[in-house]
Amino acid sequence: MPDPLKKIEALIASLEELRLHIGKRDLSVGSRNINSQLFFSLANACLRNRAVLLYGGMGANKTTLINLLGTSFLSLGLGDVENLMVTGHPEQTEEKMVGFLDPRQWTRPGSTAVEVLWTLWARSRWKLINEINRFPSGKQNLFLEILQKRKISYAGQVLEPGDTCYFATMNPEFSATYPLDEALLDRISVCVPAMQPDFLAGLALSEREREVHELAEKLPRFTPEEFEALPAYVARVKLTSQVELAILSLLRDFTLCERAPGYDKTQLSGRNPGKGLCPGCHYFNNPEVLCWQVDEGLSDRVRQDLRDFCRAMSFLLHHDGDLEVLKAVAPYVIWHRVTPIRSALESPPYYGARKLAFVFGLVERSINRTLNERAEMNLIFARAVDGEMALDEALRELSAYDDPIARLDFIPSLEQMRCR
Amino acid sequence: MSMKRFMEDAYQGKARVKRLETRRGDMVFGLEDLADRVGTRPARAEVEALAPADENLLGQLIAAEPGKKYQVLWGYLSSIAAERSSVPLRLPARDFAGLELCRGSIILEEGKDHVGERMKGGRILVHGSAGDFLGQEMSGGGIVAWGCRDYAFRNMRGGFGVVRGNSGNFTGLGNSGGRIVVRGNCGERAGWLMRGGSVRIAQDAGDFLGLLMSGGMIAVKGRAGKRAGWRRKGGEIRAGSFGPEAADGVLGLD
Repeated sequence: MPDPLKKIEALIASLEELRLHIGKRDLSVGSRNINSQLFFSLANACLRNRAVLLYGGMGANKTTLINLLGTSFLSLGLGDVENLMVTGHPEQTEEKMVGFLDPRQWTRPGSTAVEVLWTLWARSRWKLINEINRFPSGKQNLFLEILQKRKISYAGQVLEPGDTCYFATMNPEFSATYPLDEALLDRISVCVPAMQPDFLAGLALSEREREVHELAEKLPRFTPEEFEALPAYVARVKLTSQVELAILSLLRDFTLCERAPGYDKTQLSGRNPGKGLCPGCHYFNNPEVLCWQVDEGLSDRVRQDLRDFCRAMSFLLHHDGDLEVLKAVAPYVIWHRVTPIRSALESPPYYGARKLAFVFGLVERSINRTLNERAEMNLIFARAVDGEMALDEALRELSAYDDPIARLDFIPSLEQMRCR
Repeated sequence: MSMKRFMEDAYQGKARVKRLETRRGDMVFGLEDLADRVGTRPARAEVEALAPADENLLGQLIAAEPGKKYQVLWGYLSSIAAERSSVPLRLPARDFAGLELCRGSIILEEGKDHVGERMKGGRILVHGSAGDFLGQEMSGGGIVAWGCRDYAFRNMRGGFGVVRGNSGNFTGLGNSGGRIVVRGNCGERAGWLMRGGSVRIAQDAGDFLGLLMSGGMIAVKGRAGKRAGWRRKGGEIRAGSFGPEAADGVLGLD
């Protein structure tokens, strides 16, 4: 089997040459600048049961890009891939999206089992939910079950299409859109802003002389074996210990809260940092500490998504699974899941509008702290857990650290170990 | 893999030791953020402890529109900025400008309410008319305004106030010290309940001048309205002429 990475590179080059997608190179990974919209979509195509949301204004090539990638990876015509997607609107129903009971079964003699006619979308392993925020809030709940699962159930019947690549698109809030539920957002692995083409890209796109459907025929095609093999290639990428440690610390930095039940910010309801939880806490207003700057904690899904997308991005870029990749990937995994407090986000240089840039800053700060300032306390904790150091001594030494992870995570863990 | 080896692998012996600086929690992002920490009616010391040391950041905080909710915070910040500034600080017309000012100078294009309230030192110059409560409870420093509305220099204990035009009602209400000069006319009840200090009015004064006053001195160059010095217990009132029912013991100017 030929190297699938070469085919992916050929696909990237074809999209540009055919003027099908020319995006701004808005993301730096080490010394390489890449288009985040394209590369996160490609990364998702190399993974299974993860969801990428492309977020942006009209005409930013969100839906077409996903369909073009589907054309290449599934080796289908563009029209066929377009038939696989569902588009949000208030009259969309579960029957139209997933399937419906076959009425012919009741006229067939001797038929006992209930038969469901599954839709193309339900059976497909490349699922695009177009304009997801045009589904009314109640209907969005349907996707809670479907996303990241391999099964779809309807009328007591279960369809198992297998490991699936999920994509979704959405516009900013317009008059006919509905807000996305936090639980649904947490099931979306990565959210990528889809930018309008810049001046040069616009010039290049104006050179496109034929219809997208015709040009799509020229894209390289993956065989089913090649497409199936992609997750295994990604799984072979090893993340460094630094990345694994930085991911764990990043999650704890966002989630720990001295005033939350169990020190877990995901347990909060009503009161949160944006609603006056933090004044008086000595971490409050300390720019080195993340807890008070966002309302929500991060779920364990974030850890899985960070590891998977770091691997996939490293695979696509021929890059080691190191901190450069994590620093580039993590903000896109986190920013749609959190709400920064207003006073922090509205100050320059964010002006209340540059949430992704704000989260980039938080991620950078957490990773830098973990690498540069937490070594000593992490090693004390590690030695105590491994039994190389007395628990009492470790507790005494850790109590000198005013870091939230030491105070709210390490010390309670060691105290529990001492009580056993 | 043992936990220790995992950590050693992650750090590879390159770790630096630096602990979280908990005292660095001084960053203030805006008036709303400041209010989260100290409330909307704090003491000046609380605001001073958190006011940014950086002049640009402080300037950004003062440039923000405080609205009714954060006007006291803005007032304190305006005084702190004026005290730190080596030149007179020009500010837009807002309530509570120069609140508890100790030194330095503030120039306002126009004055709103509570300008120079509780000031202890420094100077405030208002190019235009000020609102109500100009220099209320001031104990030092000086205010010069082109005019003002009611309750100017109420409960004044020290310092001076000059109104170059007309003053509204109740000027110098409850004063126990300080000097007030009004170069135009003055409304009703100037020097009401006055216990000390002086009020000089270059033109006419309204009715009930020095009502219930028990100390201090009021001088009116023009005419005082009716019932000047009514129920006066002490102090001195002089005027060019008096309206009807002036109290006994008020004096004409020589």
